[in-house]
Amino acid sequence: MDMKICFKLNGKDVSVTTDPLRRLIDVLREDFGCKGVKEGCSEGECGACSIILNGKMVTRCIIPVGAADGQEIMTIEGVSATEKGQTIVQAFADGGAVQCGFCIPGMVIAAYCLLNGNPDPTEDEIRLGISGNICRCTGYDLIVESIRLAAKRGGDIWKK
Amino acid sequence: MEEVKCYIPKTLKEALEIKAAHDVIPLAGGSDLMVAHKKTIGLVPEFEKPVMIIRNLSELKGISVNDKGECVIGAGCTAAEIAADERCPWHLRQAASRMGAIGLRNSATVAGNIANASPKGDTPGPLYLLDARVRIASLRGEREEKVSDFIVKFREIDLKQDELITQIIVPLSEDDFDYIFWHKVGTRKANAISKITVSQAIRFADDGKTVADYRLSATATGAMTNRSRNVENLLIGKEICDKTIEDVVNGFDAVISPRAMPEFRREATRRMIRRFLSEAARRPQNKVIDTYDDYHVTGQPEPRECRHKKGACHG
Repeated sequence: MDMKICFKLNGKDVSVTTDPLRRLIDVLREDFGCKGVKEGCSEGECGACSIILNGKMVTRCIIPVGAADGQEIMTIEGVSATEKGQTIVQAFADGGAVQCGFCIPGMVIAAYCLLNGNPDPTEDEIRLGISGNICRCTGYDLIVESIRLAAKRGGDIWKK
Repeated sequence: MEEVKCYIPKTLKEALEIKAAHDVIPLAGGSDLMVAHKKTIGLVPEFEKPVMIIRNLSELKGISVNDKGECVIGAGCTAAEIAADERCPWHLRQAASRMGAIGLRNSATVAGNIANASPKGDTPGPLYLLDARVRIASLRGEREEKVSDFIVKFREIDLKQDELITQIIVPLSEDDFDYIFWHKVGTRKANAISKITVSQAIRFADDGKTVADYRLSATATGAMTNRSRNVENLLIGKEICDKTIEDVVNGFDAVISPRAMPEFRREATRRMIRRFLSEAARRPQNKVIDTYDDYHVTGQPEPRECRHKKGACHG
């Protein structure tokens, strides 16, 4: 039974008529072409599918699209179009944070959420901030360093 | 007419009307239900009954303190909201802050954690410890029940078809105790399902020696969260000494019934009880009796530094 679901996606009002129990990840990838964020574990553990829902990072593989009705969603596509997102993306590239890249959109979302609430995090706070994002390549050190770089380079933009 | 598979009520009243008329599964965070019913990538999860999405019901949000000083938590509050709110009792904040990882904690609700009635759920341990109650609403009215009664047995709760959990009320907090303890053993700090979690709290009488109140609960030690007032009474009214500690240790050992790795779970529980009580008897400055390194539990010295190259495992 399809229903019309309306929400804000990366700043734009959108709607979709679909089964409200479809997973948000499937709707965003298939109906809206937001393929930046990946599906890893399908259980909300790996963080590869992270998006920002009403300002907070969530794993969208465990959210039915019906729960997004009337809410505000930002995906990696939206985040990387912002000055803050670009600062993180550039820092990840310069810092060598990326190997296979599968976890990286989720990592960028996690870094964005972390730095927005904490512009100058300690190493422990960074590791906690990405503790829900699993990476099987990098060993995390270069990702942590790159987030620190993004914090430093961004400076005051994180306080906005 | 096509069968209705999903309801999205806008108000609590509407949700209760739907509940009164239909046998539906309430879904808030989705962290248990969506995983349990998932099929595969691209396919819609299949539920045995219609689903009612209550994630965004504003009446189920918010944390407050009522006129009796009890902490009142909306059923729709997420683990992240509880972990960050100092009005919530310490034990509950600890448990909420170690549920899953950040993304999941922003979805998962405490009511869902109770309703899932898993012996490994993170929040029931502290809720049992602090005599928490659930407030339940239906069109017939409202009622309250202790969480420890509401969870009837493994995966079974005392909720009628037309009822919905609306609040969790926690009457006690760390302020009611002199010393507190909470420790979760998991394979890593984030994304770990509890191997065993022990919550404890103690209050001494005015003489500073006689135990006025003692509470102990354990998670993942049986088919349900374990707590026993009879065992706690072995210490209440007495002083902490080797004998009373062992009375509690042995009494609680008879209460728990771990199935997988039973000796590890029993021994870890025994050690955590001994650790807390012997520390509390020394009356240290800190109210929180340290959650300590795993080697105290396993008996195997484990270096604090990570075994792998720095950063290769984290958590």
